[in-house]
Amino acid sequence: MEMILNTIRKIDNDQAKEFAFGDNQSLEEKLAFAFLNPKDYTSLNLTKEKHLKISNSIGSIVVKVIEDENVPEKSILLPVSIWANQITIVENGELHFKNIKVTIEVTNDPISKYSDIIKQIKGD
Amino acid sequence: MKRFTCSGCSLLCDDIIVRSDGLFIDEVIGSCMKGKERFDQVTSKNRITSPMIRRKNDLQKVEWDEAIKETITILKNSSKPLLYGFSNSSCEAQSKGIELAQLINGFIDSNASICQGKVLNLAKELGINLSTITEVINKADLLILWGANPAETIPRLLNKTLFSRGKFRMTGREIKTLIIIDPVKTASFNVMGVRDIALRIKAGKDLELVRALKEECCQNDSIPSEGVAGIDSEDLKRILLHITGTENGVIFLGQGILKSTQDNVLIREILDFIQVINSKQQKGRVSLILMGGHYNMAGFDHIALSSCGKIGGLQFKNKQLVETEDTIVSKLERDDFDCSIIIGTDVISHLPYTLSSKLAKKPLILIDNHRTATADIANIILPTAITGIECEGLAIRLDQVPIHLEKIINPPSNIPSDEDLLNKIIMRLNEGGS
Repeated sequence: MEMILNTIRKIDNDQAKEFAFGDNQSLEEKLAFAFLNPKDYTSLNLTKEKHLKISNSIGSIVVKVIEDENVPEKSILLPVSIWANQITIVENGELHFKNIKVTIEVTNDPISKYSDIIKQIKGD
Repeated sequence: MKRFTCSGCSLLCDDIIVRSDGLFIDEVIGSCMKGKERFDQVTSKNRITSPMIRRKNDLQKVEWDEAIKETITILKNSSKPLLYGFSNSSCEAQSKGIELAQLINGFIDSNASICQGKVLNLAKELGINLSTITEVINKADLLILWGANPAETIPRLLNKTLFSRGKFRMTGREIKTLIIIDPVKTASFNVMGVRDIALRIKAGKDLELVRALKEECCQNDSIPSEGVAGIDSEDLKRILLHITGTENGVIFLGQGILKSTQDNVLIREILDFIQVINSKQQKGRVSLILMGGHYNMAGFDHIALSSCGKIGGLQFKNKQLVETEDTIVSKLERDDFDCSIIIGTDVISHLPYTLSSKLAKKPLILIDNHRTATADIANIILPTAITGIECEGLAIRLDQVPIHLEKIINPPSNIPSDEDLLNKIIMRLNEGGS
């Protein structure tokens, strides 16, 4: 299914805080998830055990999903983080953190690990 | 107990009470969650207090001399060094950063260039009406949050500006109207009262909205009956009534606008819209406040402008400033660098993968005070004191007002301030780098 991705800042999902006070596990718990409108959540047959794979031409990530009625339908919100930035876009010298077209699919795959993302960035 | 200024965000609240014996901070009163986190960072478990060098993929603690020596070696072997960050550093450190960039013929840029700096750049052509927090507290009767969610990003902003009682007004919140324009119902919507207006715009349709508002300003009844950008036509007319009738209105531009896909065109239209309104205003004026997040995001552009006559990215060649349109983005896109010094920012987390992966493949020297994703890939980490707690310095508030930050306690292990560290690197380079 195609959706519009927006990155957002939330005080309870602040990566600077997690890096200063947390560890890799708390980073994944607080940042590796997406907010989705309950109607979309239902139409995708999502459950708490299932995750969401979000992909575009840049790459893909797997995150947990939280229902949030404040999110517009057909939109997906990700906290600003290293997870979100695996699929944000650079185009014509400008960074795009908002209104990015993505494809989503429900998956049983585990969420993308912080250590794997770092390895990928380093090219290991 | 004494009052200090908090460096937790760009609002730089100057009313934080701190109880300290000069060695430890015992109590912090009046700060928001972000401010408290800033003070808690002093003793956070991921605080970096020793210089480190990556050897065989592992960071190892080393002596300062060794870390500086290795830093100098990287810089001396570099022909295209890149310096980036500086939004969490004092103006004095920013000034030293520019001095270092000049000495090593580098390119220097700050986080502002991918945030509020874009507005200031466009303002050079179009002009801009800015306001200050004090003016908003004392005079404003209309506050518009456009793509901004201060309840979660600058938590005390609404406390100060919306709920305060102004010096020149006998009334406070009851005469202030709040308009929020956002596709998402953010936490800031929770402060809205009956006279306020919540506009859930369709995502990415801000440009259509501002153009429609501008056209209606110039030519009545131009708004289509079905509304614009998902907003009802009656609501659009109500906004215009407020904007054109305000005595002192302020638009807070947030990340939703500053980081939108159409940002330059959109910002240009917003600046133009404000000029149109002000030309038609009978009673007062409408102005802007740019909501950068880091405590000294506004500082770098002021320092760059005062020392080099230019804001944004500065390129030095033969120790002279040369004309460039480059930003951190274009430099990274073209792979036009051979090493980087990152100061006080988590660039690996903040930038898209296509750029962060390029940074990670070349020597990276990080100057910061706690663990970040950038620390997890850096070749050298040089820890520094937390400005506004462990060292003093000047910062520019989000409304472009300079504020002095005081030192409260000594830093652990006598680690230097950003300014002192950069000065040390400059001195060692001037001595020949031995």
